[in-house]
Amino acid sequence: MASSLTWTLPGTWPQRTVTQSTQPMRPAERGLADLDERALVEACLSGQTSAFDVIVERHRRSVYLLCYRFVSNHEDASDLSQDVFLRAYRGLRSFRGQSSLATWLYRIGVNVCLNRVSAKKLLSESIEDRQFVDEKAESAPDRLLKDERGARVRAAIAQLPRKQRATLVLRMYHEMSHQEIADVLGSSVGAVKANFFHALSNLKKMLGGEVL
Amino acid sequence: MHLRPDELIDVAEGTRAESSAPHLAECAVCRLQVEELKAMMSAAADVDVPEPSPLFWDHFSARVRQAVDAEGAPRRSFWTWPRVVIPAVSVAVAVLAVAVTLNRGNTSRAVVPLPAVLPAPVAPVASVDLLVDPQTGDDTALTLVAELSSDMDFETAREAGLAARGSAEHAVTHLNGSELRELQRLLQEELARSGA
Repeated sequence: MASSLTWTLPGTWPQRTVTQSTQPMRPAERGLADLDERALVEACLSGQTSAFDVIVERHRRSVYLLCYRFVSNHEDASDLSQDVFLRAYRGLRSFRGQSSLATWLYRIGVNVCLNRVSAKKLLSESIEDRQFVDEKAESAPDRLLKDERGARVRAAIAQLPRKQRATLVLRMYHEMSHQEIADVLGSSVGAVKANFFHALSNLKKMLGGEVL
Repeated sequence: MHLRPDELIDVAEGTRAESSAPHLAECAVCRLQVEELKAMMSAAADVDVPEPSPLFWDHFSARVRQAVDAEGAPRRSFWTWPRVVIPAVSVAVAVLAVAVTLNRGNTSRAVVPLPAVLPAPVAPVASVDLLVDPQTGDDTALTLVAELSSDMDFETAREAGLAARGSAEHAVTHLNGSELRELQRLLQEELARSGA
């Protein structure tokens, strides 16, 4: 049975596509939107802060999803994402273009999330906090079961050691290659694979056979 | 010998064919591990993230813009200067450092007793503009350094290692109040002795 139901948070939208800003772009912003990453960074450093708006618009969804994977709730994910972009802005002059802007933002995001997560115990959204939207045919019990299973997996991921958690999130949910993860975490490909292996093995120990 | 974790991951992800690891065919433990890894990957992949509202993104961008506006424009660092300029500045700084060192050596060797009678004052020497080459009217290297360093503050210079601990710049900028007063007193004494 295909997964056709969508659970949404209060104030969230049951939609998977990324939508662009509803505000029309000014001509200068249209010009900026055509620039590549390096040119956008240069424009920011030259004082065009609107170039940073374009960077935010291009990467906000992936940064938000990364943060959500670490904290499992909308409010904290939103705050952390804002923090990621603010830190990126402050450190923009240190971006030397050796990796893509996305990789650089992920690196900041992982550090921000791991620091915040270790400093504060974050609460995951409970199933009751979500709104149920019956779009097609999947039965409520099926969806409930899947959601409970998801909650258990998220809770188990939250208990993983920092590097294992970061590796699993980047590999499973951001489809990054082992090499890209190694760049983000500042480690080797071998270490990334070993961390991924241990992350999955620890998940197995924590979850037992309940999700298999 | 069992497969290593990275080999098990490669097999579980399908980037390495099982046939390329003959050990798998004869080891139930490794086969079980591969199956468990696959099952955990599948379980983890099944966890969704609720998509925020389109209205959230506009609100989010506005929040970031507000925070960024409060920060002010990011400053261009020493390292983002064009790569051609950096070596030129480095060479110029090295030349200046050597010149300062040699000058210090000459000063320390030139400690001689003051004559009892000061020589008659000589006609003042016309001031020399160090940025102007008498041959061409302009020293391009020094002009370049002057232009590049005109907006370089002490913090940037320190980050670039131009005022390292032990340098004259570092010493002068790290004197406390009493040391500065003592330096002022010594200079005034020396000026009074030399009749300047």
